[in-house]
Amino acid sequence: MTVFTAEIVNPCVLTHPYNDDHQLSFEELEMKYTTSVTKGMTSTMAAQVLERDGCNELKPPKGTPEYIKFARQLAGGLQCLMWVAAVICFIAFGILMGQGNLTSYDDLYLAIVLIAVVVVTGCFGYYQEFKSTNIIASFKNLVPQQATVFRDGQKFNINANQLVVGDLVEMKGGDRVPADVRIVSAQGFKVDNSSLTGESEPQSRNPEFTHENPLETKNIAFFSTTCLEGVATGIIINTGDRTIIGRIASLASGVGNEKTPIAIEIEHFVDIIAGLAIFFGATFFVVAMTIGYRFLEAMIFFMAIVVAYVPEGLLATVTVCLSLTAKRLARKNCVVKNLEAVETLGSTSVICSDKTGTLTQNRMTVSHLWFDNHIHSADTTEDQSGQSFDQSSETWRALGRVAGLCNRAVFKPGQDAVPIPKRDVVGDASETALLKFTELAFGNIVDYRNRFKKVCELPFNSTNKFQLSVHELEDPLDLRYLLVMKGAPERILERCSTIMIKGQELPLDEQWKEAFQTAYMDLGGLGERVLGFCHLLLSEKEHPRGFGFDVDEMNFPTSGLCFAGLISMIDPPRASVPDAVMKCRTAGIRVIMVTGDHPITAKAIAANVGIITEGSETVEDIALRLRIPVEQVNKRDARACVVNGGQLKDMTSEELDDLLRTHPEMVFARTSPQQKLIIVESCQRLGSIVAVTGDGVNDSPALKKADIGIAMGISGSDAAKNAADMILLDDNFASIVTGVEQGRLIFDNLKKSIAYTLTKNIPELTPYLIYITVSVPLPLGCITILFIELATDIFPSVSLAYEKAESDIMNLKPRNPRKDRLVNESLAAYSYFQIGAIQSFAGFTDYFTCLAQEGWRPLLCVGLRSAWENAHNQEVQDSYGQEWTFAQRLYQEYTCYTVFFVSIEICQISDVLIRKTRRLSLFQQGFFRNKVLLSAIVFQLCLGTFLCYCPGMPNIFNFMPIRVQWWFIPVPYGILIFIYDEIRKLGVRRHPGSWWDKELYY
Amino acid sequence: MATLKEKRTCGQRCEDFGHFVWNSDTKQFMGRTLERWVYISLYYVAFYIVMSGLFILALYVMLLTLNPYTPTYQDQLTSPGVILRPDIWGEEGLEITYNASDKKSWMRLTNILDKYLLHDKYCLLYISKSIPFYFIDYNETHQNESNQHCPSGSYYIQKDFRGPHHTKYACIFTREMLGSCSGLEDPTYGYPEGKPCFLIKMNRIINFLPGKVGSPPYVKCTMLEGSHSTLQDVDYYPVNGTFDISYFPYYGSLAQPNYTNPLVAVKFNRITKNTEIKIECKVVADHIRTDNFHDPYEGKVVFQLKIES
Repeated sequence: MTVFTAEIVNPCVLTHPYNDDHQLSFEELEMKYTTSVTKGMTSTMAAQVLERDGCNELKPPKGTPEYIKFARQLAGGLQCLMWVAAVICFIAFGILMGQGNLTSYDDLYLAIVLIAVVVVTGCFGYYQEFKSTNIIASFKNLVPQQATVFRDGQKFNINANQLVVGDLVEMKGGDRVPADVRIVSAQGFKVDNSSLTGESEPQSRNPEFTHENPLETKNIAFFSTTCLEGVATGIIINTGDRTIIGRIASLASGVGNEKTPIAIEIEHFVDIIAGLAIFFGATFFVVAMTIGYRFLEAMIFFMAIVVAYVPEGLLATVTVCLSLTAKRLARKNCVVKNLEAVETLGSTSVICSDKTGTLTQNRMTVSHLWFDNHIHSADTTEDQSGQSFDQSSETWRALGRVAGLCNRAVFKPGQDAVPIPKRDVVGDASETALLKFTELAFGNIVDYRNRFKKVCELPFNSTNKFQLSVHELEDPLDLRYLLVMKGAPERILERCSTIMIKGQELPLDEQWKEAFQTAYMDLGGLGERVLGFCHLLLSEKEHPRGFGFDVDEMNFPTSGLCFAGLISMIDPPRASVPDAVMKCRTAGIRVIMVTGDHPITAKAIAANVGIITEGSETVEDIALRLRIPVEQVNKRDARACVVNGGQLKDMTSEELDDLLRTHPEMVFARTSPQQKLIIVESCQRLGSIVAVTGDGVNDSPALKKADIGIAMGISGSDAAKNAADMILLDDNFASIVTGVEQGRLIFDNLKKSIAYTLTKNIPELTPYLIYITVSVPLPLGCITILFIELATDIFPSVSLAYEKAESDIMNLKPRNPRKDRLVNESLAAYSYFQIGAIQSFAGFTDYFTCLAQEGWRPLLCVGLRSAWENAHNQEVQDSYGQEWTFAQRLYQEYTCYTVFFVSIEICQISDVLIRKTRRLSLFQQGFFRNKVLLSAIVFQLCLGTFLCYCPGMPNIFNFMPIRVQWWFIPVPYGILIFIYDEIRKLGVRRHPGSWWDKELYY
Repeated sequence: MATLKEKRTCGQRCEDFGHFVWNSDTKQFMGRTLERWVYISLYYVAFYIVMSGLFILALYVMLLTLNPYTPTYQDQLTSPGVILRPDIWGEEGLEITYNASDKKSWMRLTNILDKYLLHDKYCLLYISKSIPFYFIDYNETHQNESNQHCPSGSYYIQKDFRGPHHTKYACIFTREMLGSCSGLEDPTYGYPEGKPCFLIKMNRIINFLPGKVGSPPYVKCTMLEGSHSTLQDVDYYPVNGTFDISYFPYYGSLAQPNYTNPLVAVKFNRITKNTEIKIECKVVADHIRTDNFHDPYEGKVVFQLKIES
């Protein structure tokens, strides 16, 4: 099963074969690539290298050729069964033709129909796949990327795919890094590596070599990551598929696709069918031989029985049911690439979810404020529907003013119609959060800033860890300057001597410092990013109007400020997520968070959305509570566990398995996307069916490895979408839960559909068995069977897909793939040997009635076959002494086919009604709730009537206009089926776990 | 998706199956312990006994509703089929070929006629216990014993059961009525001379009346292929090749156990030898269809004839 090698599992694989260019000095680098860190390469050299290495672009994942995609549609379990059946039909036809006693072309027709069904459903499935692939393709951004490159000492703008190793490139905020680049010079250069590492924190990049691991060192910027701010130049060290991202993308293609659970179920089901078919065929082969048929005849019987066991209509039913659900899901923002994946979600028992964007809004938002010695909560909901804090305090005004003014972020223009939280902003995440927050609190912030004219500013840098700016005051008469500052809280506090409480400046004594510390710890403990804010009104004397502020000289006070408060920010969970996680929990699905973020943030969000439930503690929490060392804590006591990537790296797979087993609530933080793969594998080893969400290129191996990979429609990369089985158009975790619900429903409903479809196999088969053993005229013809399978019964079986769930399926555990099969033995036995048997009896009752009323009493029919089928005998006598020509007998036989057909139809109406529920009484479920099913029954009856009474039918499809009363003969049997099944369900409900339940509940 | 890959190997399948057949851990044979097998078998036995009982009851009740004399419906029997003797079937239907100078070859055909006129072999083949065993004997002695002379020219309608053992009478039809094709004067039926006799028979249908009184059904043979002149000299027995309507209606084997099918003998007196000809013999009557595309033997019979010399 595992195409996967141990090598790929190891995340280090990416680091080792990677060259050590980051460790080289510039001179060595110049030598190696014959380039210059100031002038770049010569264009001739660049052309040569381009020739050698090829374009700088990711080779599109080797798309499966269309014909193979199509061929796959023709090669499923059921499809194989039908191919085999078609071949058998051809053989039987060949034998009959070879013998020269070809009386009918039924075998040939059957073979053709079987093939046609496979091909048509194949086309259908292919079309579905094609359509969803198109949806994915539409996301593709086709605009070619530009890059600034130095060649021959000149600056050029060229297409990024023309870049080669050794090129000197320039990057600035907003660009995408065009290849793997060794940084040569940088000014405040920051990149967002989240698509590679999953870590959303901006990372600074500079020429310094800081780590042996190329992923960790600060002097490499990676292909396809984005530059957030600053400017840098660098030498390209890897292009195209040789970049880190390229390696990961190609890694994904090495991961074998897992079989979907439904495919496994269908295979299991085909095993059952094939087993029964061969068993029946062999039995009747022996019977036929002992009765005295010739070997070849018995062989034909054998083949016919095997073929009769193939449920021709099932393939179409399953395909249509799945695509109906796929459609329903698409309306709820889940696009399913592969039909079978619809059901996989339903059997999912573990969801490994990303944090950023999936569980959270992917938007830094102000969540708490500390001022006036109180922690105030801000409204973090997406639509600003939550409660806000009391904004009447003077301190708040001061704090808000600092937050609004000491902020370089601005809204992109032309977004007046967009709600504030959704607007695009130029600026880093926390400034964006503050900008939106103040915009919401004060109204038009641009205007506000204009009122406080900015005189000078010092942007944030990592040495100072603060940002300040000086403004004129709003009141034109007040000529003082206002200095505002924000930054790391401890650094800000250092510079303060007073603190503002309720609008009063109070001296910042130890008591206040302690209060500050507590608040800071509390907010930090929530996993939030905390910033401190302070301000100072500069005295008019020392800094009169027109004073030349100089940020380099710092010719103004930067200490003795007045502390205004703390503001903390977090990427808040989506509103619908806690509910969805709760639903998952009641549905017995484990949600595991896998994120690149800090453990504390991860844990806070996990606690927030309910992945870590209230009252659950990690080992560390217990240790803290009991004041004992971590080692002494009994690990079994801790329900929750937060593991970071570093710990994970040192773990063996057994340890990881053990960890997953002991702690039901898991959060993996600071993990690299490759570690995601290890986690997925570990879950699978524990027997879970794993759904994985992901968006980055680097997620694609995990997405592929997962039983169902879910890519994000908005933030997802193409590689992720390619590797995934399903795409969430709204990136919302809650949509997954909807998918789970639909998947479970379709599993239940498919079971019902299959039970319905299988039942009629027996009344289709027994006529043939009776025909060969008792030698009566054939009660049911091949074409008629095909009409039942592929025309009249398709709609009702599909309509079961619209059935509502019998109980709250989201309160049940996920199905155990080893025990809860789609088609189990009791389903097959109950359908075949009980309901199917009753239907057969109904058919034979009608058959014998029809024959007897036309002159052929049942006992005469026994052994009549050879005379009846003798085309040369034009005077076969019936029970009344009348003589029949061959053609007259043939029409009588067609009449028999038709009454048998009608009997099956009538019983199938009863059957489809009883299949609405497996446990509940039909009276509890309601007869008329499923309107589609009702119309399907009406349709079935109309089609049946049409087939019977349309002129010309006798000679085309062997349907005869039968007498009306023969429609009613099977009705008592239909009622019997209904009553019998109600009794079965009553027993199942009343005595769960009893013998009755075990044998008769499917 | 991945159905092409990762197939379970055959060995694994067999192993799984083996485990299914006998699971030594749980002492389960085919998924059930012995005890559970007994229970489920008993359940199924009971189920099938009940179902078969219901089924037999249903059939029994249905049979009680049937009229023993006439079938409830005759949907397929709107017009009788027609057949001839001797009947030798070839690739494309009835093909009668013989060598006039080869006794063995025509004896095969005349034997069929002999046997037919004594009793119908075909009946013997398949008539089972369910209907009274009987055969038709066209000999005068036999006919006189069991049947009545009926007034010709009118339907012999019998409302009551006036015959012995609560039956209805049947009319006499004897070999003598077939004239020179009776096989009495000429036991070779004219075969060696190249003037063969054929017997045309209409199928029995209960209560079927072929046409109006006064226009009895008659047989008319025509050439389908070959020159029409070859078929000029045809003799029909009885006169004009008519089936007398006194043989109708038929009341069924229970009411008329001795019913004798009326026959028409056709003697072709001028057949070109060594050529294959195709002849159609129609029974012409108001209520007899002869143009049913889907039933070539309804109201007519077509056969090939070739006399070698």
